[in-house]
Amino acid sequence: MSTPKQITVTIDGKTCTGTAGQTILEIARDNGIVIPTLCYLKGLSSWGGCRICIVEIKGSPKVVPSCATPAMDGAEIITNSDRLVQLRKCTLELLFSERNHLCPMCPYNKGDCGLQHQGLAHGITGIRYQYLYPAMPIDLTAKYFGLDQNRCILCTRCVRTCDEVEGVHTLDIAGRGEKNRIVVDLAASFGTSETCTSCGACVANCPTGALFDKAAAFRGPLASCQTVLTTCTECPVGCGLKVFTKENRIVNVFGDPDSPVNKGHLCVKGRYETWADARQRVTQPLVRGADGQLHPATWPAAMKLIKDTLAQSPDWETGLLVSPRLTNEAIQSVRKMVDRFDRVAAFVAPHEAALCGQPEFSADALPKLDNADAIIVLGSRPSEDHGVVAARIRKAVRQRGAKLLIFHARKSGLDRYADICANVVSLERSFWKQVADTLAGAQRPVLLYGPQAMSPIGVTVLERLLKAFEGQKEGTGPAVIPLPRSTNSLGLGAAGIELLEEIGPWLDTKPMSFLHIVAGDEPDGGARLLEERYVRALLSEVDCLVVQAAYRSALTDMAKVVLPAMTWAEKYGTVTNFEGRVLPVRPVLAPVGEIRDDQTILESVFA
Amino acid sequence: MNKTAKETAKKPAAQSEAKPTAPAKIKVATMWLSGCSGCHMSFLDIDERIVELVKHVDILFSPIVDTKVADMPQVDVGIVEGCVNNSDQEHELKMLRERCKVLIALGDCAVTGNIPTLRNQFPLEDVLSRGFEQTESTKIPIIPNDPVVPPLRPKAQPLQEVVKVDLHIPGCPPDADTIWFALTELLAGRVPQLNEKNMRYD
Repeated sequence: MSTPKQITVTIDGKTCTGTAGQTILEIARDNGIVIPTLCYLKGLSSWGGCRICIVEIKGSPKVVPSCATPAMDGAEIITNSDRLVQLRKCTLELLFSERNHLCPMCPYNKGDCGLQHQGLAHGITGIRYQYLYPAMPIDLTAKYFGLDQNRCILCTRCVRTCDEVEGVHTLDIAGRGEKNRIVVDLAASFGTSETCTSCGACVANCPTGALFDKAAAFRGPLASCQTVLTTCTECPVGCGLKVFTKENRIVNVFGDPDSPVNKGHLCVKGRYETWADARQRVTQPLVRGADGQLHPATWPAAMKLIKDTLAQSPDWETGLLVSPRLTNEAIQSVRKMVDRFDRVAAFVAPHEAALCGQPEFSADALPKLDNADAIIVLGSRPSEDHGVVAARIRKAVRQRGAKLLIFHARKSGLDRYADICANVVSLERSFWKQVADTLAGAQRPVLLYGPQAMSPIGVTVLERLLKAFEGQKEGTGPAVIPLPRSTNSLGLGAAGIELLEEIGPWLDTKPMSFLHIVAGDEPDGGARLLEERYVRALLSEVDCLVVQAAYRSALTDMAKVVLPAMTWAEKYGTVTNFEGRVLPVRPVLAPVGEIRDDQTILESVFA
Repeated sequence: MNKTAKETAKKPAAQSEAKPTAPAKIKVATMWLSGCSGCHMSFLDIDERIVELVKHVDILFSPIVDTKVADMPQVDVGIVEGCVNNSDQEHELKMLRERCKVLIALGDCAVTGNIPTLRNQFPLEDVLSRGFEQTESTKIPIIPNDPVVPPLRPKAQPLQEVVKVDLHIPGCPPDADTIWFALTELLAGRVPQLNEKNMRYD
């Protein structure tokens, strides 16, 4: 490949170099020259709609939007003449007068609004145009965010984000002139949208308060918040989070733009579910009293109770059951416990033990997906379990025409983008010929398989798929990427901890007298264990059940002792993602009450 | 427009420097239309500086001075809080405009219309019905129609859509420091230049 041609332009008298094809704005920013923008956002395509970034080029009577105009070698560019400032002021005044921009009522009013910032920076005190006061609808039907058309400036950053980053194109523009407005699907609402994934990327990229996060609204301006970079522990992808906090409260969670994993993008789980949902915390040890109720206790009292119970019955069968959401550090503590308990295991998703028993980390899995020209998804539902992976798949399919084949018994949000979607796998020759035809000629195929690929049918399909690639040219075989569902099941597998898909048989083989469950910050407090048949009854037969959890749940309600654990926001440690990257989990909030992290609890109680 | 404002600003500044003492006090009127009084409160938040201010200024007409509208005097500076919402306010504003040399729109309601203009999205009948007939506490649903009650205008509007405004000071409310800065600049004979640092919209 030849290196791109170097060009030189003069911007405000400063000689600047760039490469051919770069826009005037890009070269100016690379050279430290500030041009005001509203609709421009790095990483998205250029729109050139707001006309705030206009510049003059010597020799041309017209002003041009610098975000959408490629720089020409030798051009002399002026970014700050009186004429440009006057034009920008007019544009801003038109924007202010077009809709109902009422700063005092907007949660983004203290430094988070691009329009307000530009207005103040341009010294606009009053608007010379007549206000239009249009009647504008507000869509509050989404669970986590709202769309207030009153504050929209039609910069289309949300539309481009939805299309180019999340890859669903839920948002678009409808109507002409002053009737121009953002629409969801075909004039639907967020609540009824079939395509919206609630990823919230549109909200994060909105320059005004038109799209706003409900949980973040009026908790304080982001501009005044502290930020912490940490890692999402909701799934094995390990997205980087940028968490905004104020007064030991989370104000908002955005993606970390510098994360090599998610590059600033998040799914609904990382963006909202971890903090915007109300859950009841366990903040101090609880011990069941003679009246059958849980009562607050001190740490020494709760620990003494557990130690005495164990000391009095040395012949008891003891077990330790842990959640797959543990940090690597907590897993090391669990390993140390193997000698102290008769049985130690982790509970994982169905068929995940087979997937993670001998863990394989697929380095650079996400770049491979970004590059793929054919993607096979087998036994995994990325759109439900790993939203950021699903976004990357949609991008490959919609932007680069990659083929997508989905084999899963259950429907998922990705199905509509697939060339072949088999919810029921056929063994007919014609079906497999169709599969082979679709994959024919693929140079960089990727086979992404999840836990369900380990089911009997899944294994059959996996074998057939791999067969389809046999006989092709050397080096065109698929990149095979295992993708578990649980956060750190791969780390648990690597540490040699037994992985359980069903805990009923494990509990039933030999009656358990003492069971310590580490539910950690499982969102449901570990209550999903009780959904399995017979487990509730089996657990009620345990003489002493200790649950270590961050949230109250049906499981903690069964326990004799409940120990308060930390959530992702308080923990300190690392997790390993499915690519094998070791990612930091940093404390975002100061611990509340008497909570302790998982490894400290284990090592102090069972030392 | 900005350029000419700057040029004109320089001239009186030079004049005021030439005259060390101004014997006559500047005459001021303040007016409160459809607003919440917050801007007047912020004005009073200049605290002890008000002692300095009254050395140079006479407040002849104001919600805090008992002067009847009909007796509104000729003044140098008119300061108006709130937007124009009914016929009475329009009448008073126009009267003040005729009787003052410099008219200042103080605060967001006067500058942009702000919260009172939320009603502009709805037909006037609906607004009145919601306010007087459908409120949860309504016992006798009657829309006031006594001729003494000034009728609402079809739309609530910021000042500059009704009269010419010489200076806008946005903010909800503007900071006391901003108000003080604007007044002292005016007293010094300059046009106050508001910027990112001393101005706000919220």
